[in-house]
Amino acid sequence: MNTATPRLSARGLVKRFGTTTALAGVDVDLADGESLAVMGPSGSGKSTLLHCLAGILLPDAGTVALDGREVGGLSDRERSLLRRRRYGFVFQFGQLLSELPAIENVALPAMLLGTPRREATDLAGRWLGSLGLAGMEGRRPGELSGGQAQRVAVARALITGPAVVFADEPTGALDQATGHDVMRILTETTKAAGASLVVVTHDAQVADWCDRRIEVRDGLVRHAEATR
Amino acid sequence: MNAVLALAPRFQRAGGRDARVTTGLAITAFAVTTGLTLSVVGGLMGFTTRAQVPVPEGQGDDAGVYVILAWIAVVLLVVPLITLAGAAARLGVARRDARLATLRLLGATPREVVGLTVTETAWQGLVGAVLGIVLYLVLLPVCALLPFQGTTFSVAELWVGWEGLAIALVAVPLLAALSGAVSLRRVSVSPLGVARRETPKKMTWLRVVVAVVGIGVFMVISAVAGSLGATAAAALIGAMAVGFATLNAVGPWVLGIVGKVQLRRATTPARLLLAARRLLDDPKAAWRVVGGLGLAGFVAGALAVLPSIVAVDMSDDPQGAILMDDLVTGAMVTLVVAFLLAAVSAGIAQAANVLDRRREIALQNLAGTPVELHDSVRRRAVLVPLLFVAVGSAMTALVMFYPLLGLAAVSSPQGPLMLVAFLTGGCALVFAATETSRPLLRSVLADTVVRAD
Repeated sequence: MNTATPRLSARGLVKRFGTTTALAGVDVDLADGESLAVMGPSGSGKSTLLHCLAGILLPDAGTVALDGREVGGLSDRERSLLRRRRYGFVFQFGQLLSELPAIENVALPAMLLGTPRREATDLAGRWLGSLGLAGMEGRRPGELSGGQAQRVAVARALITGPAVVFADEPTGALDQATGHDVMRILTETTKAAGASLVVVTHDAQVADWCDRRIEVRDGLVRHAEATR
Repeated sequence: MNAVLALAPRFQRAGGRDARVTTGLAITAFAVTTGLTLSVVGGLMGFTTRAQVPVPEGQGDDAGVYVILAWIAVVLLVVPLITLAGAAARLGVARRDARLATLRLLGATPREVVGLTVTETAWQGLVGAVLGIVLYLVLLPVCALLPFQGTTFSVAELWVGWEGLAIALVAVPLLAALSGAVSLRRVSVSPLGVARRETPKKMTWLRVVVAVVGIGVFMVISAVAGSLGATAAAALIGAMAVGFATLNAVGPWVLGIVGKVQLRRATTPARLLLAARRLLDDPKAAWRVVGGLGLAGFVAGALAVLPSIVAVDMSDDPQGAILMDDLVTGAMVTLVVAFLLAAVSAGIAQAANVLDRRREIALQNLAGTPVELHDSVRRRAVLVPLLFVAVGSAMTALVMFYPLLGLAAVSSPQGPLMLVAFLTGGCALVFAATETSRPLLRSVLADTVVRAD
């Protein structure tokens, strides 16, 4: 196996919305197990970059490859399957289904891949326990604090053993202390699970939790550096 | 003018496409409710006028019976009509609640928040009432084509008068405002009340007790009324309305039980789990979708007795034969209106569900949850309660009317056949109406930029 092949690789990404150019030719590589912070001010194109990397949006030009395999040629359905099987997602808030208790929210992606309910909820229970949420399995999203809900979202993103976890402003709705707690859990558990991580944030302290950061401005990568 | 209330028109305009869809649906519901209510009241007034001045000559003996039958039709349709209006007032409630809770956090008083909602729904009610009057005027010549008492109605007979229209213009916005205010009690209590979704309070057995008592009271009154003759008709109609209301009370509780059974049986496919949880999470919301059919099914169950009644040989009684024909016509009109109302209610409630869940559905989609899953969960969350409610409500009607009608409803094959035909048609109609939310779901899923509100 060629260890030099990045886990996720993007070359020359261009994405336009009408007359606005959100991405103007972005190159990004993400190594196996590496965490990358994508920074930039509002409207800089960082969320569009995450959406293109995750196969949510198709770029107008350029390529995205997972483990060396180009994903741009996949149909909408195939990209949905790819996201379900190989990727995990943590959004700012509101991603948990309000009618499901925490344990079933975590179990859902596994059930979508065909795991029987009992097996999926057992696994979900272990994930919740390892993230310090033992005893909260039966709580609804509305009965969890913001930090607890984000930890449930982290467990849900990791339960299927994804290759890459994408987090879009995962601490955007949290206070600073809770935000750091969530970032610590997100980076540590993702690394322990052997997954790579892409975090979109405008907060430099949040970015410090990642191995490396890039800064996107006007649709281009202006600055890249290792954080630790 | 109060500064918060002055925001009402601004909120109306600023809500974007979703707000426009919600407003459009609410206005449609109020318009259908107003139009059909005026048509039904017009029919009642037509029969009442004929009872006072029998037309044509010689039909006077039965005229009183027609008025009672018209009243029964009004009672049978009034609950579905009120249900539809209530559903309209609750449209987009999650979205509106979130906005109002924010205003509460910013310091708006409970009174101002209620005032804002009342203004919004009253305005929708008023526009709906105006369109409803137009609908009534369009339906007027169509209704006049229906033959009753050996002759068709004239438009003048079915005209509710300018007073009737004025009452509609006042009553519909008032009722809309009232149900809007009732629907947001939670926001008024706490600014955080709607920002969080908590484990729903369990519905109690009390609902079943209420239902059993309601049905029992109806059966006792109808048994006594049978021996007392037509004088007890008014009490009977009142009791029937009570029985009807109990169906509305017990329906959500029964759906909650169905959800529990489904949840226990959901082992592998995620769609079963999601459909069961959705039903269990808010059985009242599920009832709002299928409840209209429940009430229509109840009407169909009550009218299943007709084929046995009209099968009586009337060859030597031409007047009686006309009454029998009219019974069938009246029953069919009532059933068609009830099922149409059910379909409109279901379609509107389903669209509201999609809009209220917009954010979580869209985020699930971004994370790779297949579109088919949302479709199949939505379909399953409707279909199972739909079948359950249709059959259950028809059975309830058969039991409730037993003291009055005996086994007449099932004594000839036509009765059950008619019942099954209407329930099948009704289920198909309601199901088709809920499928109209499909394009809305697709447009929600097409959004890759998921806004906070």
